[in-house]
Amino acid sequence: MEHDRYSVLIGGEAGQGTRMSGILFSQIMNKVGRYVFEMDDYPSLIRGGHNFSVITSCVSPIYSHYDDLDVFACLDDRSYDLHVKKVKETGTLVYNSEAIKEDVKGIGLPVYTWVKEEGNRPILAGTVGVAAACALGGVDFAILEDSLRKAYPKVADVNVSMAKRTYDALADHIGKYPIKMKDEKIGAIMTGNEAIALGAVAGGMKVYIAYPMTPASSVLHYLAAQADRLGIAVCHPENEIAVMNMALGCAYAGAKTMVGSSGGGFALMQEAFSLCGQSETPVLCYLGTRPGPSTGVPTYTSQGDLNFAIYQGHGEFSRIVLSPSGNNQAFYKTAELMNLLWRYQVPGILLTEKHLAESTMTTNVDVDSVKEEEPLVYDGKPEDYGRYQDTESGISPLLFPPVENAVVKASSYETDPLGYTTEVPSVIAPSFEKRYRKRKAIEEGLRQVTTVETHGEGKIALVTYGSTTLSVMEAAKHLDNVKVVQVIYLEPFPIWSVKEALEGAEKIITVELTISGQFTTLLKHNGINVDGSVRKYDGRPFDPVDLANRIREVM
Amino acid sequence: MDLDTPVENTWCPGCGDFGLLNAFKRAVSELVEEGFCKKEDLVVSSGIGCHGKIVDYLHLNSFYSIHGRAITTISGMKLANPNLQVVAFQGDGDALAEGIGHIVHVAKRNINTTMIVHNNEVYSLTTGQFTPTSKKGFKGKSTPKGNVEEPMNPAMLALASGGTFVARGFVGKIDHLKGIFKEAIKHEGFSFVEVMQPCVTFLNTFKLWKEMTYILENHDPSDFDAAWEKAKETEKLPIGILYQSKAPTYEKELLGTLIPAQKKGAPLEEIKAIFSER
Repeated sequence: MEHDRYSVLIGGEAGQGTRMSGILFSQIMNKVGRYVFEMDDYPSLIRGGHNFSVITSCVSPIYSHYDDLDVFACLDDRSYDLHVKKVKETGTLVYNSEAIKEDVKGIGLPVYTWVKEEGNRPILAGTVGVAAACALGGVDFAILEDSLRKAYPKVADVNVSMAKRTYDALADHIGKYPIKMKDEKIGAIMTGNEAIALGAVAGGMKVYIAYPMTPASSVLHYLAAQADRLGIAVCHPENEIAVMNMALGCAYAGAKTMVGSSGGGFALMQEAFSLCGQSETPVLCYLGTRPGPSTGVPTYTSQGDLNFAIYQGHGEFSRIVLSPSGNNQAFYKTAELMNLLWRYQVPGILLTEKHLAESTMTTNVDVDSVKEEEPLVYDGKPEDYGRYQDTESGISPLLFPPVENAVVKASSYETDPLGYTTEVPSVIAPSFEKRYRKRKAIEEGLRQVTTVETHGEGKIALVTYGSTTLSVMEAAKHLDNVKVVQVIYLEPFPIWSVKEALEGAEKIITVELTISGQFTTLLKHNGINVDGSVRKYDGRPFDPVDLANRIREVM
Repeated sequence: MDLDTPVENTWCPGCGDFGLLNAFKRAVSELVEEGFCKKEDLVVSSGIGCHGKIVDYLHLNSFYSIHGRAITTISGMKLANPNLQVVAFQGDGDALAEGIGHIVHVAKRNINTTMIVHNNEVYSLTTGQFTPTSKKGFKGKSTPKGNVEEPMNPAMLALASGGTFVARGFVGKIDHLKGIFKEAIKHEGFSFVEVMQPCVTFLNTFKLWKEMTYILENHDPSDFDAAWEKAKETEKLPIGILYQSKAPTYEKELLGTLIPAQKKGAPLEEIKAIFSER
């Protein structure tokens, strides 16, 4: 089965179109019936830096890219230095012979000359990368041409011409790696951020507000581009403080709203996050993690914000934190989280990492299975309405202005049931208790949904969360006697389902992208004994083979 | 129209906020009676400070927001439902210290909101520190030797930021202030109203401002340069509408006819189409 895995790296200078080429190659693999996982690696630069995409495809589901390469399409000398060691013994280096002058083992192509002859746009170099990957995999040129024409309708001819030159130069190597193909599209090719954006809309999101910050920015870009089609409003205000406070205003008026940022931007939202807690205003917060603290390593991945998410804000209030693994789960769970937040009128965090946010993968979802839930709306006499009416569940019915004869008073202060400020002890305590009862209601609600997912059967439990789950699932293919346990909801912590999933496990090993082991500590706090832990904190995701080796060391 | 609430008023006797509250109640009642909007279309918000208590004293939809952010709270409401008439009350410290960045951007954006700044040149709820509008030399609890900073001019800030409605009122002239509030709420775009509102406890400027203020006459509010010259005056304080112009509103430009808060259901068919295209 492993023989069918086909791993390609397209690397070049920023501006040479490697990212677009990676996505295009992923789309082509999808079109010929192969599952895809593509990881994009780019520094925080626009031009001159080094970018690369690793695309691994397989006829069976695949959850990670692999660093051992069948094909390395190398467009500049820096790519060569960084990645040539990853090429398998049976692999092939296709390189830009005008950028790499030394004598190397591979197939040299005069990429700069071709680019010059086809109109001199550096971005055309990337097309050589896609074409080389297609040619060596034995993809019919007609399929590549069709994809290029669809992807670049305005500059189709020059791109097709670049591809043709590549196929001609590689004529002796076409189909060197005869990957399995069928005439059937597997799913949709998209990034995690796109799946999340669509999940939010499916869950009823009507407004998205954000200030740009990697790796969350592409949610903003995608939704802004699709706003008219999806019938939503997308707003980019002056800073994250405005973002979060505007979101509260939107939710007050009855629009399901999501905000998005990374750690630094979220730090700015904290005060208003607490305002959500006090005023019982639901806002879905998308937190895309990158290595911090502070600016950290902006375009790379990490899970260092777990504690930040769980403990965000000042004061005591409930929130829901969930972290999806891949695109399918991200789509469903984003919609589910929106429903839960509005059901319980609490803020929530969709915690992700750059690795999910900006990786591209095969996505298969049943859109019709998503059901938007209506929040609890007041149906009594309007003049009797009180925003914070005490109830057994702690959930006070909502009303959205304008409602004739009703007055809706939300507040950052502690209030009486009508929403008027109070400092009276006999009013404060019941208000605290009302809000605290919601925590119990949330826990009951979480028992009705999938909070933990288990993959495989084995005596050794690999416990993880977020997109690291994908790396662990792929690593598990190389391990015996393991099961992968993903904790999807992190707050309230679903101890009931975690315990069930770990029943019978002889050894519990955690895997996470932190140095301090925040997730491991979270498990321990919940009474789970952890026997070993594998961690990584260099900004890069795990390679499945490396990860399997590291897990073996602690097994 | 009865806009009273059961809440006990805890402003100091003689506080300038009473005048502001009365002027606002009258403005709102008249607007509703004149059919400009319905009572339920109005939503008010406030920041934190003595001014903020106003939302507890108004029987209107409200969101008692946090320090410096009321204008962003109501901007969100307007974005979600442009049919709402939204007004933010903020203090001079609240608006011009903690939340100053928002003023610049809300003005630039021209979102159809009204911002009323209660200017008393002092933080009162925190018992008397200097604010961005305090005069140089003001001895507050954080500046016992006297404030060393020059004061800020709120009207000039709003004008320079592109505000399409900039006015100043005085709580000693309630009828006049009521008129300004009405015009501000009716203005299509961002309206900024600075209200000179003395604090009787920590900096009683009532008598001083009564002498300093004068009602603008023979002033053309569509003339920006004239507005700028009037806003600059400090010896005497002109009150009235300094500037008013027409410009497209943010919500109309961004949303067209969309009302996000009233759009029902998720566009599942479109989402399915997107998946199949990819």
